Amino acid sequence: MDYKTIMCDVLVVGAGGAGCRAAIAASKHNLDVIMLSKELLGKAHTAMAEGGYNVSLGNVDPDDNPETHFKDTIVGGNYLNNQKLAEILVRDAPQRIFDLEDMGAVFDRTPEGKIAQRVFGKQSWRRTAYASDRTGSEIMVTLTEGIRKSSVRVFDEVFATKLLVTDGKIAGVCAVDLKYGDYLVFRAKAVVMATGGAGRIFSVTSNAQLDVGDGYGMAYEAGCEMIDMEMVQFHPTGMVKPESAKGRLVTEAVRGEGGILLNNEGERFMNRYYPEVMELAGRDQVARSIMTEVLEGRGSPDGGVYLSIAHLPRTIIEFRLESMIEQFEDAGVDIRDEPMLVSPTAHHFMGGIKIDEDSATNISGLYAAGECTGGVHGGNRLGGNALADTQVFGALSGENAAKYAKKNTHLGVDRDAIMSEFVNLEEMLKRKEGVSPADARDELTELMWNKVQIFRKEDEMQYAVKELRRIEKEVVPKIKVDVPVKRFNPGWHQAIEFAHMVTTARMVAEAAVMRKGSRGAHYRVDADPNEKGHYNIIIRKGKNGEMELRKEDLVITKITLP
Amino acid sequence: MAKTIKTRVQRYNPDSDDAPYFQEFDVEYEPGMTVLDALLYIQDKFDSSLAFRWECRGGQCGSCAVKVNRTARIACRTKVNPDENLVLEPLEKMPVIKDLVTDMAQTTFRIRRIRPYVARDKQPQHPEIIRAEEIEKLREIRKCIECSACLSNCPIVHETWDYPGPMIIRQLARLELDPRDVEDRVAMAMNESVYSCTTCRMCTDICPKKIDIPALAVELLRAKAVEAGYPLAEGQQAFLDSINETGRAVPVKDEPLLKQVKDAEFFVDNPRGRVAFFTGCLIDYRMQNTGKALIDVLNRNNIDVVVPKEQWCCASPAFRTGDLNTAHAAARRVTEIFEEACKKYNCDTVVVACAGCGKTLREDHRPFIESERGEPPLYKVYDMAEYMIQVIGKENIVPPKGEIKLKITYHEPCHLGRGQHVYDEPIELLKMIPGVEYIDDPYKNRCCGAGGGVRAGLRELSQKIALTKKEYIEATGADMVTTECPFCTIQINDMMKETNMQVRYIPDLLAESYRKGEGK
Repeated sequence: MDYKTIMCDVLVVGAGGAGCRAAIAASKHNLDVIMLSKELLGKAHTAMAEGGYNVSLGNVDPDDNPETHFKDTIVGGNYLNNQKLAEILVRDAPQRIFDLEDMGAVFDRTPEGKIAQRVFGKQSWRRTAYASDRTGSEIMVTLTEGIRKSSVRVFDEVFATKLLVTDGKIAGVCAVDLKYGDYLVFRAKAVVMATGGAGRIFSVTSNAQLDVGDGYGMAYEAGCEMIDMEMVQFHPTGMVKPESAKGRLVTEAVRGEGGILLNNEGERFMNRYYPEVMELAGRDQVARSIMTEVLEGRGSPDGGVYLSIAHLPRTIIEFRLESMIEQFEDAGVDIRDEPMLVSPTAHHFMGGIKIDEDSATNISGLYAAGECTGGVHGGNRLGGNALADTQVFGALSGENAAKYAKKNTHLGVDRDAIMSEFVNLEEMLKRKEGVSPADARDELTELMWNKVQIFRKEDEMQYAVKELRRIEKEVVPKIKVDVPVKRFNPGWHQAIEFAHMVTTARMVAEAAVMRKGSRGAHYRVDADPNEKGHYNIIIRKGKNGEMELRKEDLVITKITLP
Repeated sequence: MAKTIKTRVQRYNPDSDDAPYFQEFDVEYEPGMTVLDALLYIQDKFDSSLAFRWECRGGQCGSCAVKVNRTARIACRTKVNPDENLVLEPLEKMPVIKDLVTDMAQTTFRIRRIRPYVARDKQPQHPEIIRAEEIEKLREIRKCIECSACLSNCPIVHETWDYPGPMIIRQLARLELDPRDVEDRVAMAMNESVYSCTTCRMCTDICPKKIDIPALAVELLRAKAVEAGYPLAEGQQAFLDSINETGRAVPVKDEPLLKQVKDAEFFVDNPRGRVAFFTGCLIDYRMQNTGKALIDVLNRNNIDVVVPKEQWCCASPAFRTGDLNTAHAAARRVTEIFEEACKKYNCDTVVVACAGCGKTLREDHRPFIESERGEPPLYKVYDMAEYMIQVIGKENIVPPKGEIKLKITYHEPCHLGRGQHVYDEPIELLKMIPGVEYIDDPYKNRCCGAGGGVRAGLRELSQKIALTKKEYIEATGADMVTTECPFCTIQINDMMKETNMQVRYIPDLLAESYRKGEGK
């Protein structure tokens, strides 16, 4: 098994909003920085974000300030946030958006020429900065320009599969060049994880192909502590058809403009759940209402419900919801006349790798930022806080990784561990018999969607936990790629991802079982009414390789629990 | 019964194959399915090693561009046509890594070379005041998701890497329009051969974000170049000087059409409509018979034709090459002439037979005049074929009776098809002529290489593009190629000189059939 070793000072794993920002920050310290991107540069999932970037600049509502932003974030997170991290988020968001502008970002303006801010879910003031309805794309395009200006070396379509740790300190990563199938080892003095979320462990998700939780898997295996893994945000409205579009977001603005939800009896069912606010109830409330209709048999044959704007004047639809007309044209639906088929969709992971106020993990030299981390958003995330998260903690982790790299040298790597990783990857191609990655993935995503979704129940989740342990022991070692080719083989890529998906799914399921009450995005139909739920669940790989869960006190600074 | 689509996909693993080959799959059709759905179906049911890129499946990331039936588009937003076979190939010009996955290194190299970021000379004060008007134009061309489909389709990039392609020229315009960028982007654009673009609009047509690159980027940079004092090519400058001096882009050779016609009024007994005829320079000075043919054809269909005797150039050469002074002056002049003519003769429609003039009147004059005086020109503009099929109505057209027994194919002028959205009408007219066997050219909408000032300014490049086009036309096996644009006619005539292929303008053919049909 041949592999190439590549040296650098700081290695950033992931090239989305957080990864690019971290790489740019690190490169300002006269260090050699490499950024690994699983996809082509600029095509990370950050580009899909539509809503905006929350920042308390006060350009539209002068009474807004970081304290209010902080309070909204904590309330939104149902008090489970690490308040130290939330303080950093609201404190640094302003400077980070100015950084983006310095790099050339083009945000919408107020009449005075300042960054415009608009209203967005559950916030006290108008603080969401935006670039029409493509803020994520704007940020991603800007960061790409920034990366091209910097001295960062970008390795496109290189997939890191394992963290290398020596004596409790980071030494580098094992990786595969997806284009040619070459095995690579990157040795670095400091590493930043910016690997995004894991929506793809569910069969219906808004996430791009690459969001499979490989970062969660790698970090857990290396010995990182993970936090709040049970907290998964389900957006109420995703598309259902065509197949490739399943789970794609249908923006909240459709309901904002007057869209109504109907079941298969033509009933406007929100009337039974939240009659005062109807379709404009909170995201998780609408998601639960829709899911209840589906589970009780009043959904469409394909599993969703109907979102209709056909009663609105055509001109309104054509002016304000132009992109929706386009989006549904693909599905062969003219939304001016016909209802849209929508279903809740797995959208964001609030939990992830546990970080401290330096954006550092519990492994020396290993930092993390963005959706792959946990603690900033607590039990539920405010719309608009995720983009801010990528920039604030992206910059922080890059800075600190650089400082660490300046004070440390390269560590040796365990070459036996490296070999065994690559042998393991090679085995997936060589096995004579086994389970195809596609079948394995279908089984996993269906299991998670059916048993660990919006409505959680003890016996269903216990079943999932049991099944996942079985899959980990019996299916993962048997994954067999159909065609034994290494050069750009999507089947092999999916096989490599599978183990990480299982690890991530296990963490979600087991943490969900442990939390007996409902809190944040975690909703139990059999919730223990006596449980207050004022703790975070930490997951760590034990000495004997078992997944260990424990409860930890919340990190509180300013806001005490009600 | 499930319908299946025959899908041919190009396979190639350079590690093990000597050359690319096609593999065919039967893909089950579902209404609304996209090309990405088809690829995922094949991957799932037949071959999980089929290599193609995709990520967001929502037209936002630009990962999944492939050639779909010869034209590059993003797979996730391209619907599968249930009545057609599907042929999927990798993007052009980029080496294949495997199957439909190409090596983007050349593109990355060309992007980096233009220093594609806002170059600042000093740290700005925060908050930075930027007014909405300052970034208005910028917002539109900012939206690019770097899918590279435009590069694959560009007829110029097909011939040379001197030109980096629409995506990258667009980035130069984005930076030029940004008030914060201090680099001389115009000099860069000149260095990147910005005058190579023929403004064929293939890029805009397939752009997932519908960015009008020729107008908003190419012509913008050219206008800035002219402003900055860069001299135009000799051939291009000659057109502009002529327009300014005489109102015509070319010098007189034979007696102009407008001198030949005795009156301005070509009226019929029972008119069903009345139009004013904008001739354009080439029909007036070089293709007088075509002008007469148009009048004849419209008269036979009971349309009064008004031909103002004093006309002016539409100044397309000026709009395309960036000489906005000449361009705007001409727009005002033309508007004045034709508003007066329409008022005098009580009509509200102008008909053209030149694709370039039509596009210029509709897409360049109209918004400029509107922005200047608050309302656009008070007349509608139609291409002749469009007017006949849409306004007169196909069922009302007097059927031509003269037989023209030929295999005829059609070249769609860029400024008629993508420029004015007139696609089928000329072909429908052709098919009305008895004896004509219409042969469809799958590449009919590919640029002939004459437009955008390229024939005048970069003759060698123009010929290369023309030669590629020639191959496609000859491949149809037709005896004659027809079109609706004088520039295309001249260019194609040039390229077909040594061959037996006839080149004809559609109005001329129609008039011939009418005349033949009445035994004259």
